[in-house]
Order: sequence, then C-alpha cells, then structure tokens
Amino acid sequence: MAKGYLAFILHSHLPYVRHPEHEQSLEEKWFFEAITECYIPLLRVFQGLNRDNIDYSITVSLSPTLMAMMADPFLQERYAAYLARLQQLAHKEEERIASDPVFSPLAGLYRERLDFASYFFNEKYQRQLLEAFKDLQNSGKVELITSAATHGYLPLLGVQKEALYAQIAAGWEYYNMIFGQAPKGIWLPECGYDPKLEDIIKELGFYYFITATHGVLYASPRPKYGVYSPILTPAGLAAFGRDPETSHQVWSSKEGYPGDYNYREFYRDIGYDLDLDYIGEFLHPMGMRSNTGFKYYRITGPTDHKEPYNIQWAADKAFEHAANFMFNREKQAEYYGEIMDRPPLVVAPYDSELFGHWWFEGPMWIDNLCRLISKNKRIEMITPGKYLDRGYPLQVSEPNPSSWGDKGYHEVWLNGKNDWLYRHLHRAAEKMIGLATNFPRAENTLKDALNQAARELLLAQSSDWPFIITSGTMDLYAVSRIKSHLTRFLKLEKQIWEDNIDLPWLRHLEASDNLFPHLDYRLFQNFKETIPVEKDKLTNIT
Amino acid sequence: MHLSGKEYFEGEEILPLYYGEDYLVLLPRDPYWLFTYWEVSTATKNWLESEINSDWDLLDLALRVYRFNRENTEEESHFDIKVPLSANNWYIKAGVPNKKYRVDLGCMLPEKGFKTIMASNIVTTPRDTLSEVIDESWRLPDWQERHFYWRIARNNLSSMEMVKRGIL
Repeated sequence: MAKGYLAFILHSHLPYVRHPEHEQSLEEKWFFEAITECYIPLLRVFQGLNRDNIDYSITVSLSPTLMAMMADPFLQERYAAYLARLQQLAHKEEERIASDPVFSPLAGLYRERLDFASYFFNEKYQRQLLEAFKDLQNSGKVELITSAATHGYLPLLGVQKEALYAQIAAGWEYYNMIFGQAPKGIWLPECGYDPKLEDIIKELGFYYFITATHGVLYASPRPKYGVYSPILTPAGLAAFGRDPETSHQVWSSKEGYPGDYNYREFYRDIGYDLDLDYIGEFLHPMGMRSNTGFKYYRITGPTDHKEPYNIQWAADKAFEHAANFMFNREKQAEYYGEIMDRPPLVVAPYDSELFGHWWFEGPMWIDNLCRLISKNKRIEMITPGKYLDRGYPLQVSEPNPSSWGDKGYHEVWLNGKNDWLYRHLHRAAEKMIGLATNFPRAENTLKDALNQAARELLLAQSSDWPFIITSGTMDLYAVSRIKSHLTRFLKLEKQIWEDNIDLPWLRHLEASDNLFPHLDYRLFQNFKETIPVEKDKLTNIT
Repeated sequence: MHLSGKEYFEGEEILPLYYGEDYLVLLPRDPYWLFTYWEVSTATKNWLESEINSDWDLLDLALRVYRFNRENTEEESHFDIKVPLSANNWYIKAGVPNKKYRVDLGCMLPEKGFKTIMASNIVTTPRDTLSEVIDESWRLPDWQERHFYWRIARNNLSSMEMVKRGIL
C-alpha cells in the first residue's frame, strides 16, 4: 500500500471575454494564449499518459465561463484565425533563423507545437475543446469538477443568499448540460469560503470543496490531522485543505521550480525583440508591442543578459524537479504517516494557466511526475472523489472563512481600490431577486429580458474584476466591464418594470453577452417563493 | 450577420450615485477588519428630521459597532465611530477574530445619546489561528500535535508569526 496520497488539482478559469464589436481584442488573447500554451499541452500530456496506460489521477476544475468560451462558435472562429497567423509566423521564423544552429531548433519546437495545436483543435476535435475534456472524463483518470457560474467571489456576494445560490446553481446546471452528469466537487472561486455556502452546495448535491490551508487548519473543533485528511462540515460536505509544502515548492519566487535558470524566460519575446517591420503584422493592429509566444532564451540568472534556451537542459530539469517533488511527497508521507491512522493526503491545487504559459515546462513536469509516481508506487495519486470512496472516517469540523489570495482572507477583493463596486453588485442582486420573485412565469420577450438581466448581473460578479483592479494591470478594462454589465442590468430592470423593453437593444445584448444560453432567471427567486426548475432544462444539450 | 454592437453600447457605464434606498451593509475583510457601506434615503432623512427636530445637515452621524459572542449572539461590547455626513462607507478595525459583529448607523443626540437609524446584517470575523475547541474523540497527544502542526506552520507562516501564535 502507498505511504501517502497526492490529490493534484488543476483549476482552469478565465473571465468571460468576448468582443465581437472590436476587430481584435487584447483581452481575448488571454484565452487564445491559454488554449495554445496551457490547455492543449495539458490535454496532450493526459492523452499521452492514457495512451501509455499510466496509472495516474488528476482533478481538473473548469470554470463555467471558460467552458462557455470554449463552446462559443465566434471565439472558436477567432481562435482558428489567431492560430493560423501564429503558424505563419512559425514558418517565417524557421526561415529567418534556418542557418543558426542555436536558435533554429527552437523555431522548430514552436512550429511543431503550433502544428499540433492546429491538428488538435481543427481536425481532431473540430474546434470543440470540451469534447477533449469529455474524453478525459471518460478515461476515468481525470475527475472534472466546476466552479461558480462566473467565478464570483462568494464570501463577498453572500449578503443575499439568493445571489450565492444563483452563482453556484447556474454553474452546476451548465456543467450538467455540457458533461451530462453532475460534478462531484466544486472549486470555490479563489478558495473563498464562507459557512453560508454550505447549505447551497449541499442542496445541489456536491460532495466536496477545496479550501486554502487555513480554511481547514483553523477549522473548529481543531482538526486532528490538520490538512492531511479532509474534514466533514456540519452540513455533511467534505472540505479538503491545501497543503502548504506543495504550493511553496511551485510558487516560491526564490526556491520554486519555475524560476530555475534552465527554464524558459517568459519576458524575452520576439514580439518585443524584433524589428516592427518584420514582426508588426503579427502584433496588435494599433502597433502595440505584445507577446507572440516565441521566446528563445532561458532564465539564465538574476541578470538582464540572457543565454539561449536549451531544450535538453530544460527537459532534464523538468525530470529532476518531478523526481524531487515525488521524493518530497514520500518524506512528507513518512513524517505525517507516523502519527496518522491512514495514509496522509496531500492536496496540491494550482491554476492550470501556470502550466505552459508562465512555466513553459510545467506540462512536461506533470507528465514526468505522473510517470514516476506510477512506476515507484510509494505515493498514490488520487482525486478527492476517489479518496472519499475509500471510506475513511472523517472528523466533523467547521471550516474557517478564508481564501487563497494574498493575506489569506478577503482583502484582495475588498480594499480601497475596489470596495466601491460591492454597493452596486448588492443593489443589483437585490433588484434581480425582486424581478425574479415578481415575474415567476414570464414568457417571450419579458422572459428573454429577465434572463439577460440575470446574465449581465452574473458577468458583473466575476472575481476577476476586483482582482484585476487590485493588481493594477488592465484595471481600466476591468472597471469598464463591471460598469457596462451593471448599467446594462439597470437599464433592463427599468425597462422590465416599465413594460417597455427595447427589443433591438435586447437582441444585441443577447448576442454580445451570450453565455449560458439556457440560463433561467428564476434561479434568483426569493428563497421563500422558489419554484423548482423544470427538469427538461437540465438535460444534456449535446 | 456581423455583430457590431458599438453604437448600441455607447453612453453606458455611468453608475448611479444614489439608489434612493435605505441600506447598511457589513462585510468582513479579515479576522480584524470590517467594511461597511450605506445610503439613507430622502424619506428616511425627512422622517428622522421630524422625529428629532433637527436638520440632517446638523447631525453627528456615528456607527455603533456591536460585538457578539460567536455561539449565542449575546452582546459582549460595543463602541462608536463618528463618521462625517459626507461618508458613505467605512473600514472598521473590529479587532477580535471569530466574533459576530453588527453595525448600527445612527446619530448622537445631545441628551439622549445614540439613536439608531438602521442596522446592518451580522457577519463573523474569521479565526486567525488554531481553534481552541478540541473534540475529545479526535485528539492527538500534545507532543504529537506539536510535531504535526509545527511542520504545517513552517510552510504556511513566517517564524515570527509562529512565535506570535504559540506554535513555535
């Protein structure tokens, strides 16, 4: 029997960004880069592990907004065009540095990756990336879970319980429609936990959620096994606390793996390094410099002078780091195992977008890690769902309100820069609850307007906007997104009450902010007035 | 159809300064700090003016912060913070983790003291350390618990914090 368990969790999320009104959008590029550099490389790793019959277990959380973007034909079309442009650039790069023995293999590396992405996206999955995730789920090796509808930061939306319910239930419904089954676990956005969430999560049929370290560590009564066994909350849900050692090993700016000098340097990109005459056509039409993804240097050291990237050295490091990670898990399991009546469980959650984008070698590291663990068997990979199936008795304890953000609580999403927005979010939620309660059986245009109002409110609630405002990069974009969704909501609300719906405008809103096509505004109904959603709304749309 | 909604979406993006409603909302920020925001409607201002026979503009506005025991919501203490009439939000150093708090917005009357205009929702401040509550059927011997928690804390907290919290 293995000495310890490892629950490796990848949370995948991007805010809903879709701008048909602009010819090119810098923000849509977040999504396109993540597909090319993270999601497809990770899917490629998992498919390779399945092909080679490797025994591994990984949990992948997909936020509903990310799923909605993957399912959107307009964004699929734009991504296909984006990818084709990058392939052109790859060929141009291969020609440019064909005679350079140091750099030409790197141009070849990127060309191969982009060609594979194109094959995977266009041919193998006919642009439907969610089908690739379905395949993974069917393989039984990957447990897919989801998150709140637009990744709202739940502890600060909880003034109205209905608003929490709508965030969580809309995400749950969308996942059901896409994957044809209910998710076992929920990724609480930013690991933001508040006891108020429990009844709702329980009612929807989730079995577990994940918290920051001190969500479980500071639970009460004091958990006997710290974060190395889940606890059972008073409502009967399992709470899995994040292990601090595994997060430190990957995230620490000093000792973290991604900072190794042999790994690829993120900040040297040909979008900045090459002449505009050459690279200009691949950048933003306004002529702004931006990342292309073609990066030829390694981190080298704490210096501005960068040495060329060496594919083999980086691969060797990714193997070494995977072996080191596994070794540390064994030592950790021995340490805690001495005291515990069961093998300790290490819960290691990360953002998917770290792997491949910031940490170029990240997917390769995961590949190595899964292969090493399956071979030596002293550690067993497991998903939270499978862990619960083992039937270990769990201690009943109430988790502590917390998040995985800076300082561990709510300050990243509530501070002097972004606190103004909660007044508007809560007022809008109050108004939405009023609408849903007053129009329980709307039909036709009225129903469309109510559903769109619900969409606009959900979009305004994304945790990404206050986060971006706090971090200070792209904050104008975040502010304008919140304002536009809220003003659209308020205008709709007014028109609904006045029975004066501007139909052409409504149709444009529906086409623009088009996520969750089956959303039912009655999710916002006052709890006392709730009418169950018809079952046919929950059937698989595929 | 190429969807260009530009012309439809121009002139948006101005959020209301006032909603014309009464509300006082309390949010927890961390184990020690709370945030509150509010609005007093004209109707309520008029009611208050006639009630206390004074102009709104002359009032001494204040927040009364109540602290309750976590378990039975029995009031433990309260304190007042004077706030300017122009304010509509405030950060409050509540100071004690793992307590319930409520805030009342009110005014200070010369002889009668604090008069409540409205009350907020109740929030709980998070813990910032291990719970002192032990379930006897899930108890580790002291030396094992130290061994166990020391390693977690080493990776999660700075050593200063560990000393402060009695873990080191």
